[in-house]
Amino acid sequence: MQDDLDDLLASAARRPVAPSEALMERVLADALALQPEPQALRAAAPIPRPGFLARLAAAIGGPPALAGLGTAAVFGLALGYLSPTTMDYLTGASADTAEFFPGADFLTTEG
Amino acid sequence: MAFDAQGEASDEALMVLYANGDRHAALALTRRVTPRVLAYAARLLSGDRAEAEDVAQETMLRLWRVAPEWRQGETKVTTWAYRVATNLCIDRQRARGRRRQTALDDAPEVADGAPGAEGQLIEAGRIAALEAALADLPERQRQAVVLRHLEGMTNPEIAAIMEIGVEAVESLTARGKRALSALLAGRKEALGYEDDGHAG
Repeated sequence: MQDDLDDLLASAARRPVAPSEALMERVLADALALQPEPQALRAAAPIPRPGFLARLAAAIGGPPALAGLGTAAVFGLALGYLSPTTMDYLTGASADTAEFFPGADFLTTEG
Repeated sequence: MAFDAQGEASDEALMVLYANGDRHAALALTRRVTPRVLAYAARLLSGDRAEAEDVAQETMLRLWRVAPEWRQGETKVTTWAYRVATNLCIDRQRARGRRRQTALDDAPEVADGAPGAEGQLIEAGRIAALEAALADLPERQRQAVVLRHLEGMTNPEIAAIMEIGVEAVESLTARGKRALSALLAGRKEALGYEDDGHAG
């Protein structure tokens, strides 16, 4: 009887249980309805575009360059406002007028 | 992606492709897994085709839902699907009561004189008797016998599906077959053994 049972089980295993077209269509419809969107089609988060000043600062070297530029600007303003005397004091030089063309006095002398 | 390439991809790789939005993977998995789950459910539910289709669709629905969290290498897709289908079948049997869809009384009568047709009818009657006997087995024994002898799975695979040890599977299968033999022993006439000359 055991051999008969094995034969019977083997016969049953060979009998196909084919799914209907309708079932396959329902399953596929579920699959497509629940499927996540493809990676490539997902809307990418917009990358924020830096403003004009930020781009300008980046173009000249970023914050370190800006710091150097600021220092130079302040120093330039100071030089412009300070009187020559103060400059002499700062630099230790004489306030005498420098003669760059000693042989050109005749140009300013009358007679 | 070429459809042929997915014919070689594992079920687990197809799950990843499906979760990434590959529509061909959805089709490939549907074609691969649905027939197996349907056949298994139909056998567990004693041939109730409508119920088996519902179970198959629900199992696949759960598969699609779990796809985004699927971790490759942890479990096989078929093992997961058989496990879900098993639980769904148990729920349905418990909720509606065990119904015997194919009683012995429904077995086809051997009326046609042609040998080929007669043989087919006898075979159909024997299968019907087997399904009826399977329906009378205790739940776990029926699962083990169906998975081992009708789905052709190995004991370790069955152990993974039923979430028990391999020894327990062997025990369930052996007891299930003994019980089947006992149930079928009183039905030899319906099985056509006498007609085939196998009685004895």
